[in-house]
Amino acid sequence: MNSNVWILTFADAISIATTLILASLGAMITERSGVINLGVEGYLLMGAVTGFIVADSTGQLWLALVASIIVGAAMALVHATLTVTLRANQIVSGLAMVIFGTGLSQFIGKPVEGKTRPVIIDKMKFGTLSDLPLVGPIIFGHDPITYLTWLLALSISLYFHRTRPGLILRATGDAPATVDAQGVSVRRVRYLHTVVGGALMGLGGGWYMFARAAAWSQAATTNGIGWIALALVVFASWRPLRAIVGAVLFGFCLQVPFTLQGQQINILPPEIVSMFPYLMTLVVLVALSTPRARRLLGAPKMLGQPFVRDER
Amino acid sequence: MIVGKTRIQLEARLTSPRWLIVAVPVLSVLLASVVGGVFLLLTGHPPLRTYGDLLNNGYTSFYGLTDTLGLATPLICTGMAAAFAFRMNLYNIGQEGQLYLGMVGGAWAGIALAPHLTPFIAVPVVLVTGALFGAAWVLVPALLRARLGTSEIVSTLLLNYVALNLINYFIFGSRGFFRDPSTPFPQGRMIYESARFGAFGTTNTYPTLLISMFLAVFLFWFVRSSNYGYETSVFADSPSTARYAGMNSTWLTTSVLLVSGSLAGLGGAMYVVGPAGKVDPGLLQIGLGYAGIVVAALARYNFVAVILTAILFAGLRVGGSALQASSDPVPIAIAVVLQGAVLLFALGGELFRRNRVVITRVIESHQVMVGEVS
Repeated sequence: MNSNVWILTFADAISIATTLILASLGAMITERSGVINLGVEGYLLMGAVTGFIVADSTGQLWLALVASIIVGAAMALVHATLTVTLRANQIVSGLAMVIFGTGLSQFIGKPVEGKTRPVIIDKMKFGTLSDLPLVGPIIFGHDPITYLTWLLALSISLYFHRTRPGLILRATGDAPATVDAQGVSVRRVRYLHTVVGGALMGLGGGWYMFARAAAWSQAATTNGIGWIALALVVFASWRPLRAIVGAVLFGFCLQVPFTLQGQQINILPPEIVSMFPYLMTLVVLVALSTPRARRLLGAPKMLGQPFVRDER
Repeated sequence: MIVGKTRIQLEARLTSPRWLIVAVPVLSVLLASVVGGVFLLLTGHPPLRTYGDLLNNGYTSFYGLTDTLGLATPLICTGMAAAFAFRMNLYNIGQEGQLYLGMVGGAWAGIALAPHLTPFIAVPVVLVTGALFGAAWVLVPALLRARLGTSEIVSTLLLNYVALNLINYFIFGSRGFFRDPSTPFPQGRMIYESARFGAFGTTNTYPTLLISMFLAVFLFWFVRSSNYGYETSVFADSPSTARYAGMNSTWLTTSVLLVSGSLAGLGGAMYVVGPAGKVDPGLLQIGLGYAGIVVAALARYNFVAVILTAILFAGLRVGGSALQASSDPVPIAIAVVLQGAVLLFALGGELFRRNRVVITRVIESHQVMVGEVS
């Protein structure tokens, strides 16, 4: 088999990584504030279907992506209300959002099911740069949102580690009582970052719809990518730039079954090959659970704990 | 929190009043119907008539109710599976995969073991094998959680997708043991008749319903009265207290997850013993595993209440499929929307069950001057 195919697979992996990066950035920002949002899968589906419906009726790609962002933010607002204000169990609330999002996306998506997408996100043209061997497809063969996502990861990384609000955010996840004592509203920090996180997940769903999926179909759209994104947050140890590396790695695993199929390589049945991305994610999770890795990871210490001032 | 001249405060309740325990779920269902109604209106379906049809097809007609009870049978199992783990803060969300594996295990026993068994014990063997397969599917996440502390949430969930592909492989991807060899059409091989239960009369309700209801009542009693149940409750409240008291947290974590997995697996085996009689990919479409989580959360991990919430949710599904087939087809996904919405409202309502909302007027506004010290 020629190496060209694998270069293209790798380029594809970088492309598919965009959704993974967006979703895990969203989850990461949320978790840094001490709130777990397990609903990623539901947000991706709702982002995808909303984007599709808006594009179908207006034909405007950018409007569609804005709609995806808004729907993600709105779902996150519900999650924040339940978990921050009403102190509901964050894990169950996230799961409820997966179920709600799966059902609602299927319900409102029914009339447009199977329709091909009205618009697509075009790849950017960099003139001769895009034709370069190896570098061309891998670095200069993507669409604007992909580049925006890389930029976003960089800015969020700077935000986390180089700015004062970023410091407050990290402190909110590690020691909310201290933040409270400083006179900063824990509630506001958590609301804000949960909603922004949801917006990123919504965008991830919208982008997936217009860049990767051929048509809207609930069963075949996200296929567990949201859950892989959650594992990716752990893999990236809550650091945005590492999420890019991890996402490309996971994206490669997701892409390999298609390449093998396309090349007519039938070493293993396709159903078995399709299990690999999930099994690999599991193996990575295990590797990261060893006590040594755990010390290096640095998960937010108060992750999942509601903050109540008088119980301090 | 102070809004204008009123102060809204939450005071923790020591005991929840009885009426709230009923009012919160009932209100959640009503509010969820309103949310569902909005989406029905937006998509041009008259909500009242749709809900009327849903009720009639899911609960109030004879065949509607018996279909619902039939579907509730495995759902009670996945609901118990979720409740058993969640009440110990172990979030096994792999019931979906464990249910599939229970179906596989049940079918294997029904094909391979049943011919050597007397009919009297064939059914129990199928059910137990399914439960064991379900437990086996959660074994790796359970050990990882107990030994290394690997999040069981993501690991159990990832295995759902592996299980899904496994079933597809058995039925569509290969011509192996579980596939019916007599036809080119991809479908499961039937288990022996001696390993199956007949339905009650002409309904779709099977005697397995009684088994799952009995189990729910048993578990209700068990977690309240046994030493083991007590230890899990202590562990749920405070893992460190449990450890100081000398309880074995590794054993508790592993065993709770294994029991949880076996309950979900039992649900899959009941599907084989009852309506399916084979490995049936149709089960993959229903989402009984995920619904089990909602059922358990709405029942607040109370096993007897799981029976009721499972029947409620099965009815939504049965009524929903009838709507989809009617002259004004409403997508069956409305049932899932309602499930998610009920859970979201119930979660919010928990606050009011646990706390008393105290509203007081602020008579004199205490304006404390905070001087900048610099």
